[in-house]
Amino acid sequence: MHMSDALISPAVAATAGAVSLILLGTAIRKVGRESRDDTASLPRMGVMGAFVFAAQLINFAIPGTGSSGHLVGGILLATLLGPWAGLLTLASVLFLQCLLFADGGFLALGCNLFNMAVLSCLVAWPTVYRPIAGSGGSPRRVFAAALLAGIAAAVLGALAVTAETELSGITALPWGRFLLFMLPIHLLIGIGEGLATAAVLAAVRRYRPELLNGPQHAGPSRRGVRRLLPIIVATLLVAGTFSWIASSDPDGLEWSIEQVAGTSELPAGSDAPHRTAAVIQERTALLPDYGTSFAGIVGSGLLLAVAFGASLFIRVGRRQS
Amino acid sequence: MSHHYLRFDRVHYRYPNGYEALRGVSFEIRHGEKVALVGANGAGKSTLLLHTDGLLLPCEGQVVVGGIALTPRTLPLVRQSVGIVFQDPDNQLFMPTVEEDVAFGPANMGLSPEEIEQRVDAALRAVGAEHLRTAIPSRLSGGQKKSVAIATVLSMQPSVLVLDEPTAALDPRARRQTIELLRRFLHTTLIATHDLEMVAELCDRTLVMHRGELVADGATAQIFRDRELLETCGLEQPVSLRTAPV
Amino acid sequence: MRERLTRALCRMDAVELSSRADTPLHRLDARAKLLATLLFLVAMLSVPLAQLSELLLYALFPLLCAAMGGIRYGDIVRQSLVVLPFVALIGIFNLFYDREAAFRIGTLTVTTGSVSFLSILLRGLLSMQALLVLILGTGFYPLCRGMQRLGIPALFTAQLLFVYRYTYVLIEEAGRMSMARDARSFGRRTYPLPLWGELIGQLLLRTLRRAEAIGRAMAARGFSGRIPDGLRAPDRWQPRDTAFLLGWTLALTLLRLLRPAERFSDWITY
Repeated sequence: MHMSDALISPAVAATAGAVSLILLGTAIRKVGRESRDDTASLPRMGVMGAFVFAAQLINFAIPGTGSSGHLVGGILLATLLGPWAGLLTLASVLFLQCLLFADGGFLALGCNLFNMAVLSCLVAWPTVYRPIAGSGGSPRRVFAAALLAGIAAAVLGALAVTAETELSGITALPWGRFLLFMLPIHLLIGIGEGLATAAVLAAVRRYRPELLNGPQHAGPSRRGVRRLLPIIVATLLVAGTFSWIASSDPDGLEWSIEQVAGTSELPAGSDAPHRTAAVIQERTALLPDYGTSFAGIVGSGLLLAVAFGASLFIRVGRRQS
Repeated sequence: MSHHYLRFDRVHYRYPNGYEALRGVSFEIRHGEKVALVGANGAGKSTLLLHTDGLLLPCEGQVVVGGIALTPRTLPLVRQSVGIVFQDPDNQLFMPTVEEDVAFGPANMGLSPEEIEQRVDAALRAVGAEHLRTAIPSRLSGGQKKSVAIATVLSMQPSVLVLDEPTAALDPRARRQTIELLRRFLHTTLIATHDLEMVAELCDRTLVMHRGELVADGATAQIFRDRELLETCGLEQPVSLRTAPV
Repeated sequence: MRERLTRALCRMDAVELSSRADTPLHRLDARAKLLATLLFLVAMLSVPLAQLSELLLYALFPLLCAAMGGIRYGDIVRQSLVVLPFVALIGIFNLFYDREAAFRIGTLTVTTGSVSFLSILLRGLLSMQALLVLILGTGFYPLCRGMQRLGIPALFTAQLLFVYRYTYVLIEEAGRMSMARDARSFGRRTYPLPLWGELIGQLLLRTLRRAEAIGRAMAARGFSGRIPDGLRAPDRWQPRDTAFLLGWTLALTLLRLLRPAERFSDWITY
């Protein structure tokens, strides 16, 4: 599920973006090193990205629910290309969807990379898929591994979406209820993803079994993870502290505005029409300090209408000239 | 010894799954010749083409291009002198714009930007596609894709031009344009195809493959008159020759 | 089913076509537009949910940029509506959980929850609109090159362009395959899972074969693991790019810090 710009604050977006970009950078370095020996890996990743993009457009019926789902592709890509190349490929698909269809949003891209690509390729795949599928992998084990890894990836994604939205201070829904709302949906998505991955892998096993136990399945090595972990933890800490300070002191910005603008409360006028207006304002405003008033909305709306009119005028003028 | 020279010397090739695709193929092509390679599907034509550029290396025997025997060490050198145009132009045009695709080969050769620019111009001009320079490949028609695919190889200024099914999946006009294009080239050319009408027009000499072996090598006119040979190899005499006096 | 595939292709064509227009917006450096959009998003998304009236003013960015690029703002608004269902799904809870009264219009009392709900919807619409204007006013290819010049590694932009290139090919291929399926079944919108797996599996195998063929075509032209950079010398950063970026930086900073909407209404009513 694509996270939207609307649901995150810039601080959360920056944190998720930093973590995702660090991991994506690592993936790029690793894949770049490998592609020097294996020139076929670049076209393979490129075409596989296009494949995931196209496959996501074809829906399947989730059995017994009447709803439909589509592939996300993280587990599939990690299985066929290895986790780092899988991450890189899925990231390119997410970038493409963002820059072509505006899916999700530009600022939310970091969150989406994390929720969908990082969690599935670097967490769910090595901890769930690989141990269950084993090296040879009987059809039954591959099926179970794909199903469980799909569910794990989706549930982790749901946790991440919840955390990102809550930390951004967007929803008034408390953590627990939000999770209760998100988890069932994502459980369903995860089952769909898992079954879909298993179905595709079954087809691969039938026609090209060698692809399932290729040598390229070196996951993130323990040492690599240990080296990356401090960087990620540090980023999370710094960003977490930053957003905590920002949210616990919402007046920080207002304070700086007062410095810039002198004072925020302008003295009331004394002439009659203004006094009438002040009465209206008092009548309509129940929370005097609340950031929005009816008058403010009307004023902004009028300004926009004028700007829109002007822009039409410019366009008409250009067409005539 | 001329550089425009391609020689196969008892080449055997077995795929990793054990399938024997080439069984001792020998021939040579001289400077400036246009030679056709015909045969039914699975006769080994494509495998043979992949050998001209070292994309596959023979299990036995050797391939010599311009006097240089193909080995892993001579690969980069040979790849500059042999240009392969593959059957599906979508697989050949992988760069985002036409000009970048045409520049891909020269750029890999490490040429200077000015030189690359010049070669892109010349190659696009040669196939009459200057106007497509900044187009993106996915928006081109089949015929345009084919012309541009040929340009991507011409820009490397190869001595030997190798084409796999250049007229497949083209409409009649695009096919005609491609044939006229190939007729103008002075390169040593090897064309693998099912389009025997084109062969009759373009190539003086024809190689016939059957089950991994070269079963005939001679003047096109002569081979196309041999109905029995064509039939055993799963081919059909071109219509244009059927009414001709034998 | 094929509808979706066709629609995706049409959409990609529309972007490609629109990005070839020649307007003041299109002539700008992709980096200037990328950075201005990023700045807009940071400013807009940092506006507290309570300040709906301020948020409305941020519509000026997509509105004016669209006008600059000769893009119909109405189309942008219509396209941006697709973001609503998902955003509303999450935002709707604010209506129920946050019922303090904020202000009154006549006898109608507006709760803080409904203000923040509307803010969330507006955030979704505006961010989508800004991104759409960026895309339609720049095009995918210049955007990738712009990102590359902003520091995204060439390997990744090459990958992006690769995916972009072959998305066309594979969507067409998927369309042909599903057409063959649809010809034998009734026009359904989804496939049962086993059939879907078979279809997508076949598509995957063809994809891998294609990858091998492309790898061969690249090797035949001397590819050694590094995609050469763009052929053209990239466009130079012009004074107009500086003006565009600086202008919006200034405007957005002032808009964010001075909160003109409420100030203006205060000034009117007092």
